[in-house]
Amino acid sequence: MVKMILYKEWLKTKGFLFGALGALALLLFYCLLSVIKTAQINGIETLWELVLEHNQVLVETLKYFPLALGALLAVTQYLPEISRKRLKLTLHLPCSQNKTVFVMYGYGLIVLTAFFALISIVIYAVLNHYLAAELVNRVFATVAVWYLAGYAAYLSGCAICIEPTWRMRAVLMLMTAALLLLLFISGTPEAYNRILPGLFIYVLCGQLLIFHSIKRFKEGLQD
Amino acid sequence: MKTAAKIFLYISLALVAVWILPWAWRIATLKSYSTPFTLYSCVIHDFTSLDRTDNNELTFIDRNGNVHSDEVQPLFYGRVLNNKGMLPDTLNGRPVTLALIDSMNVTFSARPSDFNKKDIPVCLFMESVPVRMELQDPEDAFVIRKDGIVLYDITQNTLEEEKTKAFSNALASEGFVFPVVKYSGNPSHHKSYDEGYLLIDSAGNLFQMKQVDGEPFARRFTQADGINVKYVCITELSSKAILGWFTDDSDNMYFLHPNGQVVRTEVKYNPSKESLLGVGDLFYYTIKTSDDDGEHFYALDADDFSLVDTMDRPYEFEDEFNLCEYIFPCRLYFTSSKEEWVRPHFTDFSWIGLIVDLIAAGFVIFLRRRHKSHR
Repeated sequence: MVKMILYKEWLKTKGFLFGALGALALLLFYCLLSVIKTAQINGIETLWELVLEHNQVLVETLKYFPLALGALLAVTQYLPEISRKRLKLTLHLPCSQNKTVFVMYGYGLIVLTAFFALISIVIYAVLNHYLAAELVNRVFATVAVWYLAGYAAYLSGCAICIEPTWRMRAVLMLMTAALLLLLFISGTPEAYNRILPGLFIYVLCGQLLIFHSIKRFKEGLQD
Repeated sequence: MKTAAKIFLYISLALVAVWILPWAWRIATLKSYSTPFTLYSCVIHDFTSLDRTDNNELTFIDRNGNVHSDEVQPLFYGRVLNNKGMLPDTLNGRPVTLALIDSMNVTFSARPSDFNKKDIPVCLFMESVPVRMELQDPEDAFVIRKDGIVLYDITQNTLEEEKTKAFSNALASEGFVFPVVKYSGNPSHHKSYDEGYLLIDSAGNLFQMKQVDGEPFARRFTQADGINVKYVCITELSSKAILGWFTDDSDNMYFLHPNGQVVRTEVKYNPSKESLLGVGDLFYYTIKTSDDDGEHFYALDADDFSLVDTMDRPYEFEDEFNLCEYIFPCRLYFTSSKEEWVRPHFTDFSWIGLIVDLIAAGFVIFLRRRHKSHR
């Protein structure tokens, strides 16, 4: 049954995922070409100066991509379930309700992780050629917050889509907006180092909201 | 699961409320507050503040309320007075010229956010004695590691093994105990000369390291031995009067002379909490430290940095109505002008807010139970 659910999620999202992959390829191409050309034209030392003296992480173009990916993936996965009223059927599959829901958003989390791993590998391959490991680490410590925003947008997006009442949806949107504001409140590299583990746990706790929305959906709550 | 989700939801909403609403209130009720620029005068030997008189004229006023023209600060306004032909030939018995004034006038400053941040373990490392007249952009960098430093040629991103060995040995020969704990440097060519980096080793001792003709120059400030150096800052002032300053764990401020001499001043300064502004001239250094409560001024003799005078100026905030005190038990904020970290700070605890919130929560629970029993 898990395979079937995963296949269902794949069918719903494959178009979006190919589109996102294309967009990511273009963004990465633009972003890393800028890095390579800066190194070729102005010298590698310019990249070091940008990172050390101008607080840049060289891949700022990708800043909002994880956030957009997470939010749109949630919408792609759950909007058809809600708008075409298929969620009720899904929850009545011969599989425990919690397991079904877990597999559904687990699929999304795996997809996001695959995207973020791909981004990380490509960035690392290019930056490692030009910068010392300590500076590459600085870039990744900063990018990690953007990834976290992607996970937060996805988990909150799932809960918001499934939530049956607009009143609670507004509350969830407010919470999500505040969390995302926090995740982008500072552009200083490594500014989040001290709270990153705490933020990670908090974002993971966002899974609880999905089960909360499912429960309310099952109870048939309406505005 | 449902209970856990509800607890998570309520805690999140409470955090959002004590963060966003007090923030919005503060922005809505924000008022500008400024303090006048203050310098110690070498003419009247008193602190003078550039402020507006009752006639709305911008002028210098001393601590007794006497009004003075720009001539009370002939060194700060040396160029203006010279253009007007009003620059005196001598001051306090010393002959003065515009060139001398320009060469001795210095300013330096620091903010808490300069120190409350993640120290990058990589430092651009420039040549202190460039081939041509002007300083050039750095072509090297040293990376701070637990067991020493490693030098990179940043034009190639390659390790420089010989230089690494040379600089490590130079530091070690001066008694440096790795790793580097703190450092201060300004690897920019927008300055008149370069003094490299001031480094604090793991034993709390102070060192200088710079690159001279590609060769290492390292020295230990032996006069700083025994002082638990906490914060350090290189200044590279155009006058070369001081190389930098540092503070100890009791917030005493010391000046470093380029010849290696360490001078303890009477200035109390905590770099992690206070801002610093230093304005120096031929006769005096006016040091201003500012914290949340006010500004503290120290006038130091420019020759030996002995204390000449002090002045405190507490901020005069009016007690204003703060709605949030009556609604929330505390205020949460994540960013501060005093640090680059993003982290939660809970402040302004209010008993009234806590009691109001508890009563409101009890009322809501009562209403919900009543609503349920009616159903």
